[in-house]
Amino acid sequence: MIMMAKREDRTKVLIIEDDPVITEFLSTGLRYEGYDVTGKDNGRAGLEALKREAFDLVILDIMLPDIDGFEVCRRIRAKAIEVPILMLTVKKDISDRVMGLDSGADDYLTKPFSFEELLARMRAILRRSGKARENSKLHAAGVVLDPATRRVSLHGRGVELTPTEFGLLELFMRHPYRVFTRDTLLNRVLGYDFDGGTNIIDVHISHLRNKLGDRPPRLIRTVYGVGYAFHPGDDAS
Amino acid sequence: MKLVERLSLRAKLGLLYAALLIFSVVLVGFCSYWNIWELFINNKSSHLRARAKPVIEHWLIGNGLAGSPHPRLDPDRAAALARDLTSRDSVAIILNREGRIIATGRRLPEEPEAPLPDQQELKRAFAGENEVTYCSQVHGEPVLVMLIPLRPAPASPHIFGVIQLSSTLADINQILFRHGAMLMGLVAAILILGTLAGYWLIGVSLGDLQGLLDACHQISKGNLSKRVPLKNRKDEIGQLASSFNEMVDRLEATFASQQRFVANAAHELLTPLTGLKGSLEVLLRGAQDDPVARARLSKGMYKEVNRLIRLCDQLLGLSRLESSSHIHRQTVGLQDFFSDFMSQARLLAGNRSVLLRPGPFVTISVDPDLLQQILLNLLSNALRHSTDETPVVITWRLRPEFVEIEVSDQGEGMDQETLSHVFEPFFKGKSTGRSLGKRSGLGLALAKSMVEAHGGSIHIRSNLGKGTTVTFTLPIK
Repeated sequence: MIMMAKREDRTKVLIIEDDPVITEFLSTGLRYEGYDVTGKDNGRAGLEALKREAFDLVILDIMLPDIDGFEVCRRIRAKAIEVPILMLTVKKDISDRVMGLDSGADDYLTKPFSFEELLARMRAILRRSGKARENSKLHAAGVVLDPATRRVSLHGRGVELTPTEFGLLELFMRHPYRVFTRDTLLNRVLGYDFDGGTNIIDVHISHLRNKLGDRPPRLIRTVYGVGYAFHPGDDAS
Repeated sequence: MKLVERLSLRAKLGLLYAALLIFSVVLVGFCSYWNIWELFINNKSSHLRARAKPVIEHWLIGNGLAGSPHPRLDPDRAAALARDLTSRDSVAIILNREGRIIATGRRLPEEPEAPLPDQQELKRAFAGENEVTYCSQVHGEPVLVMLIPLRPAPASPHIFGVIQLSSTLADINQILFRHGAMLMGLVAAILILGTLAGYWLIGVSLGDLQGLLDACHQISKGNLSKRVPLKNRKDEIGQLASSFNEMVDRLEATFASQQRFVANAAHELLTPLTGLKGSLEVLLRGAQDDPVARARLSKGMYKEVNRLIRLCDQLLGLSRLESSSHIHRQTVGLQDFFSDFMSQARLLAGNRSVLLRPGPFVTISVDPDLLQQILLNLLSNALRHSTDETPVVITWRLRPEFVEIEVSDQGEGMDQETLSHVFEPFFKGKSTGRSLGKRSGLGLALAKSMVEAHGGSIHIRSNLGKGTTVTFTLPIK
């Protein structure tokens, strides 16, 4: 089962987008990343939601059926709501981006965008606005991982990891107890277009376990027939 | 010839102008030279005659020859007459009936020498011609020669001798030479000034042509915003420039609309692609391990793929309609066509009501598949923009040359601004509530292309809050 942080600890994201397929993948993907997602399919409903509830971030499409994204943005700012806004646009005109930023957006993404980039921009915006709920350094069972400096230490001693091993450990530590299939690990650490057998993941995991001195009951546990999951041991959930 | 072809228009016109100028000035100069020469000769001969006439008359009377029926020419008397007629600038000799010289007037060395008589001219004088005047030469010097027949009385047929008076033409030649020199100078001056002025005039007339040429070069390089500076010219070049500018205006508009079309098409394709890419990414990142998420994302992707296919179909349809070879006309009775169509229409309308008000019986030549597509497009628009309580009405009317088919709703209508753009590809008006994403904005553009491919026309009129009526015509045969 997927273990999630308590709802109030999670970053709350409002998606205002009229295309149901885009809303679907955004909310599914963001929920997997541990965000609390609310979706609205027009500008008025989005503004209503903002009035009722406080959000940490708004993902706003420009082409909306009732009032366009620029106008939604201006109205949010007019009400002095200090929520960071990430705009989605198809148009690549400079004027559109300028208009987006001028109307009060913090950043924009042009469709079609990469989900990875969306996550990176969201993290950047949240950091800038000081709304990042997560501690920048990840701690678990004596392992400390700093995504900014890409350093890992075990009980205060530095551990040298390859980029792939680092990626795996960061993924496990961000999502404790979640079971990852070898396929998913491969896609997320080595890229979607990596061609090769999934057993390469087993090799990297084994290296990682060695470097962390991981002995049974392990931090990185094998889930037979499925994949791997990270068990920090202490009661984190 | 090759050289002339290689010259610029300006140089060609300049050369032609200069050649015409030279020809006319030389002609004028030559004529005036000839005229003046003629005038001098006439003047001189009349002067000679005027001087000679009283002397001859006096001599005739003094020698008893006037009126004599058988006058005879005595050499001594003739010598006296010749002497009387001779002076510093003219000399006389007298010839008898046989044409022999019997007396010559020249005595002093400063008096001019007489030329030898010309027998041809003498014959004319003896034949009775009073004024035989011609030019001859003495030692290379030009002289004017005048032959005066001697008669006992004016108009008498008894010619008993001929006086040959001759006078030098050196003085006239000198004057004429000066005149000729002056004329040459003048011709040269006129030529230089005229050519310069002509070249300037041609330059002014053709100057804008260079601007036109430069603009053409720029436009052919792709700078469609370039125009020919007009300078308010009303002549042919001005008209050429303004027609040229109009042509480029239309070209630019066509290019811009084509670019807009391509940009819009790409824009429309990018939206479903965003859904596809994002869904795939989320699946690959781990959602594939969750059956619920996997099912939902796959369904969404399936929808997006269908949307892409539909869009490509419509784009292909639009481009196919550009050529009429894709229209398969058949003779169609409208009654039969609509009875088939209404079952489709009800399927599309669901629980909404679509009313058919049949018009008169008529058969037209039309592609029934395209006609059905036009009507389905219009019907779905009408249904989308009206409420459930109001019906959509379809009817047709007969006009002299064509049938008029009408689809009208009692829905929200639209404003003038929206109305002026509805036939543009990818234009989407402001929609109330219903999702924009599902629509390509090609429906009316397609309908228009299909109607026009049949040789008809399509119109739309609308009142905000009252409804919209789309009318299109199809020619009968």
